Amino acid sequence: MKVKVDLDLCQGHSVCLGECPEVFDVVEQEDGYPQVVVLIEEPPEELRKKVMSAAMFCPNRVITVED
Amino acid sequence: MSEAAKAELKRPPIVSGASKEGGHMPEFEKDYCAFISRAHAEGGELAEFDFGGQETILMSGPDAQEVFFRTPDEVFSQAQAYQVMVPVFGPGVIFDATPERCKTQLKIQVDALRYQNMKNYASVIAQEVEDWISDWGDEGEVEILHAFHELTMHTATHCLLGKEFRHSMTEEFFSLYKDLQAGVQAISFVDPYMQQPVFAARDRARERLEEIISELVATRRASGKEYGDALETFMTGTYKDGSHLTDTELTGLIIATMFAGHHTSSGAGAGTLLEIAKHPEYAAELKAELDEIYKDGEEISHASMRAIPKLESFINEVLRLHPPLVILMRRVMEDVEYNGYLIEKGKTVAVSIYESHINPEYFPDPHKFDPHRQEPERMFAYIPFGGGRHKCAGNAFAILQLKAIFSALLRRYDFELVGPAEDYEDERANMTIRPKDPCILRYKRRTD
Repeated sequence: MKVKVDLDLCQGHSVCLGECPEVFDVVEQEDGYPQVVVLIEEPPEELRKKVMSAAMFCPNRVITVED
Repeated sequence: MSEAAKAELKRPPIVSGASKEGGHMPEFEKDYCAFISRAHAEGGELAEFDFGGQETILMSGPDAQEVFFRTPDEVFSQAQAYQVMVPVFGPGVIFDATPERCKTQLKIQVDALRYQNMKNYASVIAQEVEDWISDWGDEGEVEILHAFHELTMHTATHCLLGKEFRHSMTEEFFSLYKDLQAGVQAISFVDPYMQQPVFAARDRARERLEEIISELVATRRASGKEYGDALETFMTGTYKDGSHLTDTELTGLIIATMFAGHHTSSGAGAGTLLEIAKHPEYAAELKAELDEIYKDGEEISHASMRAIPKLESFINEVLRLHPPLVILMRRVMEDVEYNGYLIEKGKTVAVSIYESHINPEYFPDPHKFDPHRQEPERMFAYIPFGGGRHKCAGNAFAILQLKAIFSALLRRYDFELVGPAEDYEDERANMTIRPKDPCILRYKRRTD
């Protein structure tokens, strides 16, 4: 499983951080909105459910998961 | 772009039928959905029209819309396209702030809408909905445009400005807000500073609102209490140099948040309830889903509303067919090439949410209300909240609010039309889509 984010779309709502803090962090930026940072690009299988929830509940559809 | 390079490029086709005086504005004002559809049909992906003197290029289809949403602000400027909002929000706020201060203000606004605050808002909204229906009795009739206007004013002021303000809120706040709203209409895009009674009323309302907010802020600063609402987040937010927002800026940010979130949510709520009344077969599915989720007497909360798939699809379909916003605009700051066409500096580019949502390629039989539709895979085809860096920051709040309202309503009441379905058409004047006024429904307490 590989996690990708589209930073053009991220406004730092932090839902991903609530759903799966093992994989996602949201970091303040020099300028503008905070943005998501992927802590583990290829997370272990046992985190799949949480990663998928983060992708699904992201209000801006920033996160995609590839197999 | 050099003159030689520009000469190589084609110019976007110009939409026929411009009038001498207002260009396409009169036709746009009459029925903007019909006008936009005509413009799209004539020009295809790019169609240029005269929006009260401003040359405006409508960009249609997900490819062109993606360019619209992904192009950075330095090239397609949101602030320059929305100068009409400056006298409403006030000086130094958002579209009138320097790019750096504007970014900070928008960031502070999103901070108030982040995951952590949303949990507080969920219970606030649930409480407001309970209060709203507490005197409904077993059956009756309700005019839903007015009812949703009031409910969303209560939720918005409660989440933004706190419980005390919400409960001590006078008629005055309602009326000031109304004057501000009346200050934005099609003619404002021609010149928002012309001598007009509506603009004078707008300026008086802005001034008085700042007095009210300043008083509230001063009381809070003196009290040192914690509130967990948006105003608290706005008051504690800082610029890069460590300074806080001024009272003028706080007032402006509150107005901006109300403007973005209030009439849109109010219209979407009314639109959703109307579709529920029109489609008892789908309403039954929603009720079954909610009964299951709340079967153990669970309260409406952020957690209980996390996933309500049928209701979410239903709301998505309402937002597809009845998107609360007309068109989104950006001012072109540098010449841009798109598919061999020149998008010239100084013009405006626009995307129509409505037109995008009735594209049969992505939404077969587009005028049919069908909550079982799959959202298209293609990004930027379904854009009820816009997209990219300027996507509506309140989108999660808006959906949460609608889920809370309908979680409460549908578990208690059934709704039906009181007249023939044709009486409930959408009205498309004044640059919004909403059910025709009055929109009366009958409700009955559920006995099943």
